[in-house]
Amino acid sequence: MEEYAREPCPWRIVDDCGGAFTMGAIGGGIFQAVKGFRNSPSGINHRMRGSLTAIRTRAPQLGGSFAVWGGLFSMIDCGLVKVRGKEDPWNSITSGAMTGAILAARMAMVGSAAMGGILLALIEGAGILLTRFASAQFPTGPQFAEEPAPMPASSFGDYRQFQ
Amino acid sequence: TCNDPGSRSAGGFGLFGSAGPQYSKTELAGVPLTGMSPLSPYLNVDPRYLIQNTDEFILPTGANKTRGRFELAFFTIGGCCITGAVFGAVNGLRMGLSETRNMAWSKPRNVQILNMVTRQGATWANTLGSLALLYSAFGVIIEKARGAEDDLNTIAAGTLTGVLYKSPGGLRGAARGGLVGLTLSGLYAFYNNWDHLKGSSPTRY
Repeated sequence: MEEYAREPCPWRIVDDCGGAFTMGAIGGGIFQAVKGFRNSPSGINHRMRGSLTAIRTRAPQLGGSFAVWGGLFSMIDCGLVKVRGKEDPWNSITSGAMTGAILAARMAMVGSAAMGGILLALIEGAGILLTRFASAQFPTGPQFAEEPAPMPASSFGDYRQFQ
Repeated sequence: TCNDPGSRSAGGFGLFGSAGPQYSKTELAGVPLTGMSPLSPYLNVDPRYLIQNTDEFILPTGANKTRGRFELAFFTIGGCCITGAVFGAVNGLRMGLSETRNMAWSKPRNVQILNMVTRQGATWANTLGSLALLYSAFGVIIEKARGAEDDLNTIAAGTLTGVLYKSPGGLRGAARGGLVGLTLSGLYAFYNNWDHLKGSSPTRY
């Protein structure tokens, strides 16, 4: 497996936007295929056509909203990296909270912010646990210079300071 | 020995004989200087060893020199999304301003223009993003199926994207879409290979 490499910060935004769009569009496509299939009149022709119509209309919309979330998250993340001067999981958690807040600006802002922050804290926490678990397999411990788990390198650049 | 030119003192120059452009004491060089014009009296390495016609970069095992389509895919898709969003926003601004031409500057007018901007931005971003997604997916599939990578993949992926995108319009719509895709990807491939066709080496993938 090739080494996972993230782009430097300005281009990371475009990459994350594209990745989020892909996730949203493909996930949405599968979901809408099933939904369109079920919500169509009986008969395989109708069902196929309904399924395809649902995919064509809804999947790009879902991809678009995922892309907005991903792009905004990445933009705030890169901004925090530049302001703070370091990369660690706190950046991601704060970015998640702020993204949730901004995107729900007209509605319940605090609730969305809390949800976004908690979601990202869970993701980052899972990532950290995975890295610790994977590195515990190596008996030499902290002297091992290489990160064994190919997770997003940005959050674990300063991993050693948390040990 | 005096391998480092920085460590050379005035006395060391005598090792190489006379202070002229000719490298006269060739038997003192210690390395074969066959067939090469003397480049410098300070050069004590056979200049043939300095010619590099191999790659300048050292690659880890299993890595290829340029980025594959899959790594470029997210960047392409994201770039098309953002381009679509910007274009749609500008278009929405234009349409909003022309539609509310007769209104005074008030909150409803601003709201209407803002709605136009966001809607057009979202629509264009989704359209361009899904086109880029289809193109990248076809490109990766064709590359894996063929096992090779060149501009033929680009053109084929573009054509297939056009066909699939316009397939709801029936056979004729699909054919038209395929033609548009063929033209656009053909132009892109042509632009990429412009240097190569002109005779010099291409500067980018």
